[in-house]
Amino acid sequence: MRALRAFVLGAAATGVLAYAAAAVAAGLAQAQDGLLDVHVGALVVVRVASDGASTVTTFGPGLLVASAIGGLLNALGAAWLARRARRRPPMA
Amino acid sequence: MLEPCDSLVLADGVALGEGRVVDAVAEASWPVNASGSFVLERTGCRLESVVAELAAAFALPLETAREDVLAFAWQLNRLGLVNVRRGSRRLRAAVVWVRLAVRLAPSGTIPSFTARRRRIDTTTPLRAFASVVRGAAGRGTALALGTFAAGAHLSLVTGRPSLLVPAAVGVSVGAGVVVHEGGHAAALVGIPGALVIRGHRIYVLHAPTESRRRRVVAAAGPALTALIGLVVLTVLPPLGLPALGLAGAPAAVHACALTVLAGDGRTACGL
Repeated sequence: MRALRAFVLGAAATGVLAYAAAAVAAGLAQAQDGLLDVHVGALVVVRVASDGASTVTTFGPGLLVASAIGGLLNALGAAWLARRARRRPPMA
Repeated sequence: MLEPCDSLVLADGVALGEGRVVDAVAEASWPVNASGSFVLERTGCRLESVVAELAAAFALPLETAREDVLAFAWQLNRLGLVNVRRGSRRLRAAVVWVRLAVRLAPSGTIPSFTARRRRIDTTTPLRAFASVVRGAAGRGTALALGTFAAGAHLSLVTGRPSLLVPAAVGVSVGAGVVVHEGGHAAALVGIPGALVIRGHRIYVLHAPTESRRRRVVAAAGPALTALIGLVVLTVLPPLGLPALGLAGAPAAVHACALTVLAGDGRTACGL
């Protein structure tokens, strides 16, 4: 149960952070009339494209992958901290 | 930093019992000896007069009494059991602090900050949130102004002068801290709580509670702040306010506190 909680919280936190970073990057790119294409492997994280008349910002599935990785790392961190706490000798 | 003209005041929810200091908020108590009780019975009196009375009552050298009283006062203040009522004006106290900081600078230390504890009204979530806003408004404003000044300076240095974006980011940083603690407090309904501010640290102290509630209280602060940041980032740019939308980023960063990297996150995970 603790592992699941840690995964969910870590995934939510990483998702929010990744989305915030992508939104800021997209905002800056749009302000400078530039293009942006951030992807992890084949998965798009954020893409800013212009067709001349308008600019389109797309948030892709890369954000979900980043969330899942963050959740996994948080769960591993929680497991490591819990194990370390169990090994610590009781206070005299 | 404590001055001779300062005085001690028991924090809300703290009382002196039979040889014990009882904290009704933390549901804890600490034993005090005769000289400790002597000092605590004189809350509201100037520290210099407490020192003189203690030296006379216990036949102590004045210097020993001063060291004992100051050490005791620091310990109580560090535990959030007493607040320090300044005997001098705030500006004068700040000048004295800066002078001492300059003298201590070669040793790489800075003078300690006193802690200030305020009661949180936890009868409803809104009142709890409002209590924290009242208590932390000064700290949030200072943080917002500092961030605004740094941001405005940066915008000048980078050749893109702007006041709007630094102001929005400053408000987000300052309000983010207040909302974070307000979120903890709002989740504390029915549980005694207090807001403690000490130096750069600000936290909500509360009575021990069952595991599930403790996790909810820990997660509520960062989750609420990050959610507001997310809404600002998502809603403002399509409304034609992309620059103001950037202000959501500092609030969204509070999501970090949901992970095991932060104390809130470790508690929320049940560690």
